[in-house]
Amino acid sequence: MRLSAVKPIALVMTREIVITTLLLLGVSFVVFVILYFSPGDPFSVLLQGQMASEEARMGAREALGVSPSWYTQYVSWLVNMFQGNFGTSIRTGLPVLGELIRTGINTLYLTVGSLLVTLAIAIPIALYSSVRGETVFTWPLTMFAYVISALPVFWLGYIFIYFFMHKFNVFPVFSGTGAKFSWLYSLLPIFVLGIGNGTTSEVIRYLRDEMGRVMSEDYIRTARAKGASVWKHSFKEGLLIPVTEMIAAKIPFILGGAVIVEQVFNWPGMGRMAWQAAQDRDFPVIMGIAILAAVFVRMGSMFQRVVYVVVNPRASQE
Amino acid sequence: MKSYSQISGEIGEFSNLPFWKKADTVDLVYVSYGLLIVSLVILSYVLGMFNLMPHDPQALNLDLMMASPGTSGHLLGTDFLGRDMLSRLILGIQAYFLPGLLAIAISLSFGTVLGVLAGYRGGRFDTGITYFTNLVDSFPRLVLILLVIAAFKPDIYYIMIVVGLTNVPVVASLIKGKIHFLRQKNFIEAAVSLGLPTRTIILKHILWHNCRSLFIIQATLGMGEAILIETSLSYLGFGVQEPMPSWGNMVQSGANYFMQGKFWPSTAPALAILFTILGFHLLGDGLNNMLEGKRGR
Amino acid sequence: MDAPLLKIENLRTYFYSQSKQAFIRSVDGVNLEIARGETLGVVGESGSGKSITALSTMGLISAGPGVISGTIAFQTNGVQKNLLQGLENYVKLTEQDGKVMHVSKNVVGWEKHSDRIMHKIRGKEIAMIFQNPKASMNPFTTVGKQITEAIRLHTKTKDPLEAEDRAAYWLKQVKIDSPRLRLTNYPYGLSGGMCQRAMIAMALACEPSLLIADEPTTGLDATIQSKIVDLLVELKGELGTTTMLISHDISVISRLSDSVAVMYGGTVVECGPARDILATAFESKHPYTTALLTSIPSEQNIKEKGYLQAIEGDVLDTINIPLGCRFYSRCNRVTDAIRKKCESHEPDLREISPGHRVRCWLYFE
Repeated sequence: MRLSAVKPIALVMTREIVITTLLLLGVSFVVFVILYFSPGDPFSVLLQGQMASEEARMGAREALGVSPSWYTQYVSWLVNMFQGNFGTSIRTGLPVLGELIRTGINTLYLTVGSLLVTLAIAIPIALYSSVRGETVFTWPLTMFAYVISALPVFWLGYIFIYFFMHKFNVFPVFSGTGAKFSWLYSLLPIFVLGIGNGTTSEVIRYLRDEMGRVMSEDYIRTARAKGASVWKHSFKEGLLIPVTEMIAAKIPFILGGAVIVEQVFNWPGMGRMAWQAAQDRDFPVIMGIAILAAVFVRMGSMFQRVVYVVVNPRASQE
Repeated sequence: MKSYSQISGEIGEFSNLPFWKKADTVDLVYVSYGLLIVSLVILSYVLGMFNLMPHDPQALNLDLMMASPGTSGHLLGTDFLGRDMLSRLILGIQAYFLPGLLAIAISLSFGTVLGVLAGYRGGRFDTGITYFTNLVDSFPRLVLILLVIAAFKPDIYYIMIVVGLTNVPVVASLIKGKIHFLRQKNFIEAAVSLGLPTRTIILKHILWHNCRSLFIIQATLGMGEAILIETSLSYLGFGVQEPMPSWGNMVQSGANYFMQGKFWPSTAPALAILFTILGFHLLGDGLNNMLEGKRGR
Repeated sequence: MDAPLLKIENLRTYFYSQSKQAFIRSVDGVNLEIARGETLGVVGESGSGKSITALSTMGLISAGPGVISGTIAFQTNGVQKNLLQGLENYVKLTEQDGKVMHVSKNVVGWEKHSDRIMHKIRGKEIAMIFQNPKASMNPFTTVGKQITEAIRLHTKTKDPLEAEDRAAYWLKQVKIDSPRLRLTNYPYGLSGGMCQRAMIAMALACEPSLLIADEPTTGLDATIQSKIVDLLVELKGELGTTTMLISHDISVISRLSDSVAVMYGGTVVECGPARDILATAFESKHPYTTALLTSIPSEQNIKEKGYLQAIEGDVLDTINIPLGCRFYSRCNRVTDAIRKKCESHEPDLREISPGHRVRCWLYFE
C-alpha cells in the first residue's frame, strides 16, 4: 500500500477506536443501570465478588464511605473491569474472565462460521436476481429466503440433529463434556445458525438492491461503453461494501441466535453460559457476557469502517 | 435527455389510481396472505380469551397420545399427553399478543417523539439519537433480555418493554429520514410560511399524512419480532411455563419425542411460528412496497 | 464517395410499459448517416430520442423491456456490420386485437448476443463520452487506472508502464496540466471540467473511428462548457475523428458540426449540411427547426431587447403518437391548404435541396 494511503486510514481507525470506547462506556452504563435498579442489591454482591479478600472490601468501603453513591459504585466497578477483574461467578465461585475467554472463543467460532454460511447462501441469490432480473426462479428464491428467515431456529436444529445424527449418522453425537469437541460436529450448529438466524432475506434484499443500484450508475455505463468488465468496476461498491455492511449489522442478531443454537446443540459457548446465568441470576457472569458481546459487535462495525475507508478513497477525506 | 431507468420511473407514476391497483401482483399476494394470518391471530386471541376452543387445552387424554392431524375430533391431532393441539395453539397466542402490542406501542410512541425531535430540531438531538442507535445496536437483543431476566424476573412484560425500547431507534431514524425528505422538498418550509402552527405541521402534515403507512408497517414487523422473541424465550424456559401453552415451550416439550421420530408435538407449534412470522413479514414488506414505493427498480 | 461510416436505418427503440400495456416509442424510425471524418450534430429537446439513439448504437440499452429494431450498419475494417443483427430473436410479442398485450424478452440472451456483436467495437471502434462527467467516472479507481485500462484493452500497448505513458500523453492532448500527477488522482479530486477532459482522453486513447459525444457539456458551468467546446473544436482539427455530437444546445452544435440532424418526438424531422440548417434564413426549414433557432438569443435580439420565441405546447407524448405530423399540435405554420394532411398523414423525409431533407407538408404539393 502506498504511504499516502496509510495516514488517512490511521486517522479513521483512531476515530473509530474513540467512538467504540464511548459506546462501550455507554454499554457498561446501561448494564449498570439495569442492575442498580434490580431488587436485592445485586450490585454490592458483584462488588464483593470483585474484591476477594475481606481487607480489600473493607478498604473499598472506607474509601467509598459508608453507603457508596451510585457514581462511586459505577466507577469502582468500571476500574475493576478495566483491570480484567469481572468478578466471580455466583454459581461456580470461579473468576468470570477465564470462563468468558473460554466460551467467548467458541462463540466467536460459531458466529463467524454462521456468518460465512449466511453469506454463502445470500450472495449467489442476490447476484443472480440482480443480474438476471425477473426470471422463473425469482419467486421461488424470494420465497425460500422468506421461509428460512421465519423458521424457528430451535426446530431447525432438531431437524438437523435428527436427520444428520440419528438417521444418517453423518455427524458424530456430541458428548457434551465441554472441553473438546470434534470440528465435524461443530459444522452442524454453524449451518443451523447460518440458515436460521432470521436475517437471510434481509441480507439478500440489501445486497440485491445495492448491486442493482450500482449497476444503474453512470460509471458502470461508462465501463460498458469502453468494453471493460462490468464486474471489475462494480465489485467494490456493489458487492464488497454491502457485504461488509451486512456483516457488521448482523453480528448482534447472530450472537442472539447463538444463545438458542448453543442450547439446542449443547455448545459450550457464551450463549449457553448466558442462559445458565439467567437461570441462576448469576449477574456477574451475564454482565461480563453483555460487555463481551458488545465488544464483538463493535469490532464488527470497526472492521466494516476500515474496509470502507480502504476501498473508498473519498471517505478518508471527509 | 433522460436515461432509460428514469423513463421507466416516469411511466410508473399513474397517481390517480388507488394504491392496490398500482401494486404488483406479488405484493398483493403477500399482503393478502399477511392479512389472513393477522385476522387468524386476532380471532384466535379472542377465542382464547373467552375460552371458546374446540377442547379444553389442558384436558389429558392418555388413550389418544400424539394423534396425527386429521384424527376425528382433533383437527390438528394431540400432543404427547393427548391434549388437543389446535386448542393449545390457540391458547398459545395469549402468551405473545398483548405483550407484543405493548412492545409496538413503546417503540412507536418513543420512536416518534425522538424522530420528530431529531428531524425537526436536528443538531444535538440528532447526534444524541445516532449515539443511542449505535448503543442499542451494540447489544445482541437476546443477551440484553437475559440480563434483564437475571436482574429482575422472567416476566414477558418486562421482556417486551426491552424489545420495544430496542426498536425505538429504528422508528426514530425512519421518521427522521421522512422529515429530512420532506424538508428537501421544501414541504415543511412551505407549511411554516403558510403560518401553520408547529403542532399542526407535526401532528397533521408530517405524522398523519406522511408517516401513516410507516406506522402500520413498523407495527406489523414489530409484531413479527415480538413473536420471535417470545417463542425463543419460552423455548429457553423463561416465558410461559408448562402446563400453560406457548408455542415456544410446546416445541421444547415435544423435543424429546422428536428424536424418537415422533415429530408432530414439536412440529405443529414450529409450523405455527413459521407461518405466523412469515405472515407478518410478508404483510410488512408487501405494504412497504405498495405504500412507500420500492427502492431502485 | 465511400459508404458512410455509420448508417442508421429505420431505428426503432421502444420501451414496453407493463402498467400501461403500451410501448413508449422513444426512437421511432430514425435514419442517420455519418460519413468518415464528418461531425454530425444531433439536436432536439429533452425526450426527443437523441440519447436513446446513441445508446442503441452502442448496444447499451439492454436493461428491462427495451426493444430495438432496424439496422445500424457500421464499417469496421472495410466490412459492413449490422450492430442489431439477430437481436429480434430474443423478443417475443403477444398480440391481441392489434394491441401488444405482453412482451417477453430473453434479457440474458439479448445481452450476451449484443455483447458478442459489440465485442471489439465498444471502446475500440466506437467510443462514447457522457454528460455528468463526475458521475460517469468510477469513483473507486484513479483516473490513470481507468484510462490505462481502456488503452490496454483496445490498443497494442499492453505493458502497464507504456500504457501509463500513453495515458499521460492523452491527458496532455486534452489540455490537462501536470498530467502525470492527475493520473494518480481519484475523480472526486478533479473538477467537473477536468473530469470531462479526462473522459474525452479516455475515449480518444483507443483511437476509435467513431466518437459519440452525448451532451458533453451538460452539467458543467457555463464557462467550462465553452472551454470544453473549444477543446472539441481543437481536437477535431487535430485528429479529425468522426463524431456524432448530441446536444440540446444549438450553439454547441453550430460550432462543431458539418451536418446536422434535428430530432423531434423520436424521429429526424430535418437533416442536411450545417450551413443550410443553421442559416438564419426562415424559409425552407421545418417549423420545429425554425422555432428552435428563434428560441436562442441572437446578438441582434439582445440589442433590441426583444422577446424570445418560446415553443408553445408540451413535449410529445411518446405513447400516444398522433397519426399525422408529430409537430402538428405545436406548429405555428400550418396553412389551411395542408391542415388536413398534417392531421392525418405523417410526411416523409424528402429532399428539398441537395442533401437537405425535411419532414414537412409545407414543402410538398
